[in-house]
Amino acid sequence: MSENKHLAALKESIVNLDFAAVVKAAKEAMEAGVDPNAAINDGMVPGMAIVGDKFEKGEYFLSELVVAAEVMKEGVNVVTPYIKGEGSQKLGKVVIATVEGDHHDLGKNIVSSLLRVQGFEVIDLGVDVATDKIINAVKEHQPSIVGMSALLTLTMPRMGEVIEGLKTASMRDKVKVILGGTPITEEFAASIGADHKAVNALEGVKKCVEWVSVQERRN
Amino acid sequence: MAEMTRRERIMKASRRERADKLPFLHNWRHMQIGWAERECRNRGMGISWARPSYVTRIHDVDISEQWLKKDGQTVYRRIFATPVGTVYQDEMRAPGTGQWHGMRGWNDITPWQTARLIKEPEDYPVVKYIVEHTEYIADYYPLEQAKNWLEDEGVVMDIQPHQPMQTLMIDWVGSEGGRFFIHHARYPDLVEDLCQAISKSREAMYEIGARSPADIIWCGDNIDGVLVNPKLYEKYFLPEYEKMAKICHEHGKPLASHMDGRVGVLKDLIARTPLDIIEALHPPPMGDLAIGEALEAWPDKVIWVGFPGSVYSMGPEATRKHTLALLRDTVPGERLCIEASTENIVSNENLLMVTAVLENAELPLTPDKIDRIEKSLK
Repeated sequence: MSENKHLAALKESIVNLDFAAVVKAAKEAMEAGVDPNAAINDGMVPGMAIVGDKFEKGEYFLSELVVAAEVMKEGVNVVTPYIKGEGSQKLGKVVIATVEGDHHDLGKNIVSSLLRVQGFEVIDLGVDVATDKIINAVKEHQPSIVGMSALLTLTMPRMGEVIEGLKTASMRDKVKVILGGTPITEEFAASIGADHKAVNALEGVKKCVEWVSVQERRN
Repeated sequence: MAEMTRRERIMKASRRERADKLPFLHNWRHMQIGWAERECRNRGMGISWARPSYVTRIHDVDISEQWLKKDGQTVYRRIFATPVGTVYQDEMRAPGTGQWHGMRGWNDITPWQTARLIKEPEDYPVVKYIVEHTEYIADYYPLEQAKNWLEDEGVVMDIQPHQPMQTLMIDWVGSEGGRFFIHHARYPDLVEDLCQAISKSREAMYEIGARSPADIIWCGDNIDGVLVNPKLYEKYFLPEYEKMAKICHEHGKPLASHMDGRVGVLKDLIARTPLDIIEALHPPPMGDLAIGEALEAWPDKVIWVGFPGSVYSMGPEATRKHTLALLRDTVPGERLCIEASTENIVSNENLLMVTAVLENAELPLTPDKIDRIEKSLK
């Protein structure tokens, strides 16, 4: 089988949300000597892009996005041991968290998975994360983007506290801040000084890619 | 003609008949106690009160409870030991839980599960055993008591659990990390088998609810189209609603479902359900379906409108604008009730503002009447 056929099989397995097929395709690709980075970047990532397109067209829903990301994770697990050295260069670093008092993580996890697929290094702090912990993580990891999620209107104010904390620590102008979650409106995001309110996971990830691309062009 | 009581208004609208005024009500679970709610109720606000019609008895399952420390935090664990295996779930509780109402903490937050009943595929047969050994027994005392206390102040609803598949999605398997979707993709037979077992076991519960003294049968479904996509809704929810509605309607009970998420993507499917009341429908900015559009799409349904918490967070002026816009979007105001909150406790200021707009909303609404209401607020 040619390398292109191996890559096509990997892509198809993601689009078809097929756990068994991705493992089989990844094993066969590695046995055939396909470059593991190519297996990820030219096989599985294009598959995720098709899933993303289907999501945007309304053919796929959140459930398919979640499952596709999980299928890809299985494929990546198979090829990772074959990667030599550092692997591909990261696009940028994102610190992401569900704010204090909120235990909802579905949207945040999707965003984390999709950001990783895009090549970001993601520091996922989890759910119910205290404001101080987010600020400290930004100090420690120096990300270019901070993502915050909330599903409860009661916990939304925590997002504003984090932004204020970033200002106090003189780090606000060093990071872009993106918010997600059902109750978050553009008006609210603007009122607390966030840079963007994601319409959904895909749109939010696109915005992050756009930000780092602009940054790269500037550099 | 004598002015209608709050209860008459809500029930008239809920049966697609015309009330004298647009009914508005507070949900007992989110209700503050004090001068403002008393004043608002004196000015026409009703109450909806949801209570169960049954108790459950689980046979041949040893249930134990314990408090334990996990990652430095206190966790409440419930363990179910059956002849086919053992499962457990952990939950954390906010301060005030058990000292307030509806298992809510002082900030109106319900307990949240930190470990779900179903974690691995091996847990499905255990939970199925529990489901198949659960007996539902009629107990109408809570409903009778609430009706006796409320009388004409509002309506009493029989509270039914989430639909079977929703029970799995948001209660037993959970959506953290997309777990439910991953299980559904990896182990479809286990998920379907358990869903069917839940549906079958609840037939007795539906009958008990339909025969109860409740005014309305209410499913706390928490539908959001982002999680419950159209494929899932059509396959697993529609048939269950049909089963429930058949029993409820035989006993003259309207059937309601709590849908406070983004349901635009489900609009056409919801139209096909036999549901009578779409409860807690949130218009933008929290939902994605305007009430006017929903009324048009669902000509045989009544909408109980949920008030977006994000509007309340902007204060009374934003509340005034949103409520007036809502009236203008829904002229002539038929097939509608307005809920002060289905989500969180409302501040006194916001509750008074909602009341100020709605207390004189005589039906049928007209643009002139709404203009007069707006002027009266200045």
